[in-house]
Order: sequence, then structure tokens, then C-alpha cells
Amino acid sequence: MKPGVSEISNLSGGQQLALKYFLVAGVLFGAQLFFGLLAGLQYLRPEFLYGILDFSTNRMVHINAMVVWMLFGFIGCAYWLIEDESGIPVVGLKLGNLIFWVFTTAVAVVVVVYLFVQIGPGTDTTIWFINEGREYIEAPRWADIGIVVCVLVFFFNIAATALKGRTTGITGVLILDLIALAGLYLAGMVYFTNISIDQYWWWWVIHLWVEATWEVLVGCIMAWGLMTTLGARRKIVQTWLYIEVALMFGSGILGLGHHYFWIGTPEYWFSIGGFFSALEPIPLVAMVVHAIYDSGTHRFTNSNHPALGWLIAHAFGNFFGAGVWGFMHTLPQINLFTHGTQWTSSHGHLAFFGAYATINIAFFYLAAQKLRGNVWMAGELAGNGWRWKWSLALLNIGVVGMTMALLISGYEQSFVERAIEGSGWAGYFAAQNHPWFIQGMVWRMAFGWITLAGYLLMVWDLLTIGVGDSRAAIVPGGGGDAVLEEAGSAPATA
Amino acid sequence: MIQPVDLQDFFITFFSGAMIIIAGAAYALLFALSRVHRMPRLMPFAYLAYVFLFISVLVLAEATHLYGFWRILVVTMLLGYLLAPHAIWHLCVGTHAALEEDANPKSPIPEDNTHSGRRSA
Repeated sequence: MKPGVSEISNLSGGQQLALKYFLVAGVLFGAQLFFGLLAGLQYLRPEFLYGILDFSTNRMVHINAMVVWMLFGFIGCAYWLIEDESGIPVVGLKLGNLIFWVFTTAVAVVVVVYLFVQIGPGTDTTIWFINEGREYIEAPRWADIGIVVCVLVFFFNIAATALKGRTTGITGVLILDLIALAGLYLAGMVYFTNISIDQYWWWWVIHLWVEATWEVLVGCIMAWGLMTTLGARRKIVQTWLYIEVALMFGSGILGLGHHYFWIGTPEYWFSIGGFFSALEPIPLVAMVVHAIYDSGTHRFTNSNHPALGWLIAHAFGNFFGAGVWGFMHTLPQINLFTHGTQWTSSHGHLAFFGAYATINIAFFYLAAQKLRGNVWMAGELAGNGWRWKWSLALLNIGVVGMTMALLISGYEQSFVERAIEGSGWAGYFAAQNHPWFIQGMVWRMAFGWITLAGYLLMVWDLLTIGVGDSRAAIVPGGGGDAVLEEAGSAPATA
Repeated sequence: MIQPVDLQDFFITFFSGAMIIIAGAAYALLFALSRVHRMPRLMPFAYLAYVFLFISVLVLAEATHLYGFWRILVVTMLLGYLLAPHAIWHLCVGTHAALEEDANPKSPIPEDNTHSGRRSA
């Protein structure tokens, strides 16, 4: 292994497979931004590409690309860490590689069909071959079945490897979480003619992925990431992983009720959804204490500054995107006016980016480091590491800017369209043509371009960082061993 | 079951909602800093942040008409945000104390704490 030289042989079999997933995730991230920009432009110029590439299609591809690149990233992260955790090569790696190509091809075919068959009546045939019509999971039934098969193979790879080799707390939680994650997807594959029932089960997929199983999956990835970048002790991160799972599931599962307010479900969901979703931010706030405790008692020597930077961005993004932006409109008394407006979009942009995109990007940097022979990626990088710093800044400024712009538009929509005009068509058009809404959309567009600039810079950086640098990575561990400083700085116990 | 927010209370609802989380984080942050760095002077500021949280919860409760059953939510939020940092602090101390014990075991049973992230390339 020669530092600074990109060689695929620097990676283990599982990591090579992970790298493929990361590459596709990166491409889909770009596609998400591209189609998002097109859709954003159509808010300002509705005639733009009308009849050629309609807003509905751009929005659909934008959202689907986001969901799929997150999944590709998570799958990549799991393949990346499983050999290290289990101590053995991935079981069934050839099958895993085959399934990667099947999965990627299926995604490409689905997107091409989205783009070429944009308009038409919804029938049993279109459900199977064109589009299932459910937001976020529009993939047609054939692709659904294919995704289930791919996920089952992925699950087999991870579970068999963990069970055959060393089973750790991280892999144990990961296996249980993947069972839930794959099982929940089935809830989105059953078609009901009653829209309330259909939405009821559809939310099982969306909410229980995003606010339960994905959170736990990210917890596993984060735990391993902290051990790798900071040398954090296994016992500590695993203990906290269990605590996090308990806290997240404690409020997150029944927090599902906040999606049941307005879809025709019984009234008791107001109480259940309102109560539990109002409590969802408490774990996030409580974790601030843990972060401070650790930073106060450890020496934070780390082996990969860009990865750690993105892990820190994840902590902040998750807190503000999911915590602050979520709680502001989670109670039914106010959600009555905000649901389905740009307010929701504002929350979605910051929460998805903060909680999920950031941690995937952190792993992209871990992969780049290992691919280049475990090259130096701490301080004093070439050019003072300006590319990773600026890409982190631009991506975060772009997303936060879009979030604020959408918040202004959403506030105006809630106020004018919902509260004053009573959600009628006249109210809808009045809100869409209001200067506040339009100005919000203009600013969203501007920050969208900043986000794209950050993405392009990140790609450039990932392709070049560490190349030609002959220094080997430092070995983290000062903080990881939880070495309490000399007695003077040891924390006082409660 | 629910009484929607009044038109004139829109902004105060969003603002107080955001302030609950931000004040909660400020309380947790100052609480932890005070304990970690042994700076008792910070603790009053931590509880001042909690007072802001307390007021924000009451304002939100009034704006969103949290009466009847919803009172339980108000009380749970106030207690939850108050006690959560204490609970997490005790967990931190407990887990790290266990680690200290592992580092200086009374019995000679070695623990495997190796991790590839700790091995040099």
C-alpha cells in the first residue's frame, strides 16, 4: 500500500463493492441537484420545457434520485464497514457484485421510463411498468420486486458476514435494523383503491424509514465512523448506539401519527401524533450533553479532517433540520395550515441533507483516503485543503439558504392560501402569485446554484484529494481511548 | 379535539416552537460545559436558558390552545427537557466510569478493544 497512489487493490472486496455504490450515489446526487434546479426554474418560468420535461417529472426524478442515492450511500457504508467489524471477507461477494449491477441497471431503466413516458392515464399496466404514483417511491411494481430482491441479497451479505465472523454491537443493531428497513418497504407495494388506506400504509415506508430505521442505520454508520476517524472506544460508541436506538424508537415510531392528521384516519391520531412527535426533538437536545462531555474529556486527534467535518455537519444538520424545523410545524393545531406547503419542503431539504447526505459524504472521504493507500488527510493538506472546506461551506450555505427561502414561501402559503383563503383554488393562485412566494422561489434558485457549485467542487476534491501525497495517515486514538486528562481537567461527576 | 391556531398567532407559534428547541439545546450545552469544565458560574445561565424554554412552552401552549389532554404534553415537555440533560450526563459518567474500570481491571481478564481504525496503515 503506497500512500498517495490510487489503486483498487488498496481496498478489500467489500470496500471495492462499497466504492461502486458510492460512485453511483455521487452520480445520483448530481442528478438530484440537476433535476431540482430544473424544477426550481419552472416555479419562476412555468413555460420552461413545458410539454418536453414537465415540472411533475422533474420533481419526481429530483425526489427519487435523492432517496435512491441515500440508499446507495447507506448500502455502500454497510459494505465498507462490515469486513472491518466482522474480521472476515464479505460472504457471497460475487452475488453482491452481480446485484449491484442489477440494481443500478434497474434504477437507470426506471429513470429513463420516467423521462420518456411522462403523461398518460394510470392503469394496472402503468402501475407495473411505468410509475406506481406514490410520492418518493414511484418505482413501478417490477422495479419494486427487483429492489426487494436486491435488498435481500444485500441483507444476506451483511448478516451472513456478521454471523460467520465476529458479531459486534454495531453489526447486531445493523442486522435488526435492516430486517425492519426491508420489511417496511413491503408496506409500499400493496395497492388500495381507498386513498386514505393507501396513504396510511405508504407512510409506514416513508416515515418509518426516515424517522426510525434510517436514523438507526446512520447511528451504526456514525458509531463506526467515530471509531475510525477519532479512535473512539468500541464500548462507548456501542453503549450510546443502544441508547440512541431506544430514544429514537421511543418517540419516532408513534411520531408517525403526525402524517395521519389529514388523510382521513381516526381523530385519536391527533393526540398520538402530536404527543410523540413533539417529544422527538428531546433526544437530539439531550445528545448535546454527550457531545460536550466527549469533546471535554477526549483529545480529538483525527485521521480524516474532511470526514470529521462532514460528521460535525451531520450533527448540526440533524439537530436543526429534523429538530427545530420539524417541531415548528408538527402540532396539528398549526400543521393544519402548513402541511403540503413549501414549509414542508423547507423542513425536508434541511433534514434530509443534514441527517443523511452529510454522513454519506463523510464516508466518500473515508473511501477516498483508503483508495489512495490510507493517505494523510489530517491538517496541512495541499492548498490548506481549500477544496474540501469550500465545498463543505458551499453545500451547507446552499442548502441552508434554500431552506430559509422555502420557509418564507411556505409561511406565505400557510397564511394566505390556507388561513385567509381557506385552501380553495382562488387561495392557491393568490398565494402562488404573491410577491413573498415569488421572491422566496428566486432566492431558492440562487442558493440552488450555490449548492451545485459546492457539489462540483466536492467531486473535484474527491477525485484529487491525497493524490501524490506520500504521507501516511495518522493513527487516531488519543481521544478514542477516552484518556481522561490529568486530574485537573477530568470531569466532575454529578 | 384540536382548536387551530388563530391567524394573529401564526408567527408566535413558529417562533416559540423554534425557541423551545434552541433554548433546550442552549440549556443542555451550558449544563454540560459547566459540569465538564467545572465552571459552576455557567450553571445559572443554563437554568436561565431553561427558563426561556419554560416561557416558550407556555407561549406555544397558549397560541396552539393546548388545553385538556394537551396539558399532559406541556408538562411532559417541561419535565423532559429539564431532566434529559441530567439523565444523559449520568449515562456519560456511568459509561466512562465502566471504561476506566476496563482500563484498570481488578481481574486479569483482557478485553479486546482493537479496531482497524487504530492500526497504522
